[in-house]
Amino acid sequence: MKRFLMILIALMMAPATVLAAIDTIAVDVGISVFKTTPIGVIPFAESAGIDWMEERPHQIVTRDANLSGRFDVVASDKFNLALFSRSRAEYYITGKVQPQSDGKLKVECGLYVSKTKNLLFGESYTIAQKDLRRAVHAFFDKVVYRVFGERGVASTKLAYVSKMEGVKQVVVSDYDGFHRSQITRDTTISMMPVWTKGNKGLVYVNFKTNRPRLYTKAFGGSEKPLFPQFDQTYSPAVNPVTGELLFSSSKDGKTDLYLGNLENNKARKFAYLKSNQTSPAWSPYATEVLFTSDRGGGPQIFVMGKDGSDMRRVTFMGRYNERASWSPKGDRIAYTSMDNGKMNIYTCALDGSDIVQLTSNAGSNEHPTWSPDGMLIAFASNRSGTYQIYVMRFDGSNVTRITQGGENTSPTWSWFYEEDKPQPKEGKK
Amino acid sequence: MKNLVKLALISSAACLMLVACAKKNQPQTDPTAEAGAAATEAVDANAAESQVNADSLAAEQARLDAERLEAERARLEALINQIMSEDVYFDFDRSELTEKAKELLAQVGELLIKEQRFTITIEGHTDARGTEDYNFTLGAKRAMKVKEFLSAYGIEDARMESVSYGKEAPKVEGSTEEAYSQNRRANFRVNIK
Repeated sequence: MKRFLMILIALMMAPATVLAAIDTIAVDVGISVFKTTPIGVIPFAESAGIDWMEERPHQIVTRDANLSGRFDVVASDKFNLALFSRSRAEYYITGKVQPQSDGKLKVECGLYVSKTKNLLFGESYTIAQKDLRRAVHAFFDKVVYRVFGERGVASTKLAYVSKMEGVKQVVVSDYDGFHRSQITRDTTISMMPVWTKGNKGLVYVNFKTNRPRLYTKAFGGSEKPLFPQFDQTYSPAVNPVTGELLFSSSKDGKTDLYLGNLENNKARKFAYLKSNQTSPAWSPYATEVLFTSDRGGGPQIFVMGKDGSDMRRVTFMGRYNERASWSPKGDRIAYTSMDNGKMNIYTCALDGSDIVQLTSNAGSNEHPTWSPDGMLIAFASNRSGTYQIYVMRFDGSNVTRITQGGENTSPTWSWFYEEDKPQPKEGKK
Repeated sequence: MKNLVKLALISSAACLMLVACAKKNQPQTDPTAEAGAAATEAVDANAAESQVNADSLAAEQARLDAERLEAERARLEALINQIMSEDVYFDFDRSELTEKAKELLAQVGELLIKEQRFTITIEGHTDARGTEDYNFTLGAKRAMKVKEFLSAYGIEDARMESVSYGKEAPKVEGSTEEAYSQNRRANFRVNIK
């Protein structure tokens, strides 16, 4: 009680930022701070004779809109001006599906203005039904761009670790958990997947030599060992500008960061520090690096320049702060913190102030990874009893589970896809 | 010290047992020509007690050699099993050796000094809490502390290798303190040069 009073007094006397350096500190817990934009969604008109094996287009749009963290869906069976204007849904999405003679579907998607029913823009895709999700994702990303002027993430992917027959394997799926495909097929553990530049492949850790070692595999290509001159290598982080790899290597009990080239396997020590360093993460333009050091005993997060200079400590609250990652907008970091043996996800500003706790009272929550637009954070949680992957808004609200069954951990979000977008066959722009 | 004596007793008992087993099982488990011949010779020798010739002596010698080899193999196996079962435990997020751990490592050190052909891999592990990344560094630190101790005990560095498994290879599943404390460990793999 006395302690509580003291904290209260302290809080009254000082703004929260000043308290960043001491143990008793105000932390916001998962309060939604983002204002979502209402958007109407109407089932697509469809000709008779479609044998649906997938979700309908409006269901996919609804899930994309809800997952995006940007929209609030106002669902309606048909156009309803009263409902849309009452809900302040300025726009609505609907479309038309027609079966083609070759068994494909012609899917027309449109973004309309509620007040006038005018088409703002539309896309038409002629596709096999199994490609419907990806077509709708592509359309939805264009909606996001139209409404917010920013790229959406509905066409991005996640890499994560899935336990199959008792062995951890690396898998890749769409950002919503669909279209999952297995990347590693080993009898030894695979883990820690990250995306190489341009989403061409993955870098991950495998134990086939009875120690953690990094490997890379281009999609559709074969596996290549990385940096075989090192003993134990892990914690890969791809430089978003050059594609180089920062990683940890342990030798004789000492762990250091190294910077290596994926093409020629050359690597050099990144920073000469007495402490152990792990979990490196690049800033969006690769000018600085976040990492974890144990120089205070337990793990704490530090930042330094890309030349290894100007090291400063970021986290001060609690004894265990680890695995920081930089938001794509560059203003905040996400990390995990341990309290009473449970892991939870936090974000804070780069000077360690303005701490926000995103998860609480729901099992252990680990391995946050930012969506490339900075709106979302994917993470692993055992809140349901087994570890599964979830997506939430960057403020901790709107938590959605995207994997089912088995055990899924360690998600890493892809970069934006620069090519590979499904191209519309006919545009109505 | 008491532990050491107890351990020695246990290991010698284990050796004896293994040797006994080896003897009993030899005709079945070791179907080599030599052993087969030895067995028939032995039967012959029993049938004709007084008949002692050079052949049966040689066979007896071969049998004894095989037995000795088997006993040595069993003894080494028992030692290897013993070393491999000697897990060293740590406190949460710590890599310092406890007094108990040091006692145990002294025993392992003794065995390694006696058996110069043994080389070991020291595996460092952590419990399930915390990140994969940091737990690799923690496991590496634990394995190193064990290596340093054995090095100070007189084991050449060339005979020891340390590797971290982080939290990837728990001994006990579960999320209780009991399971955690069993998993915060360093253990050994033994190879014979």
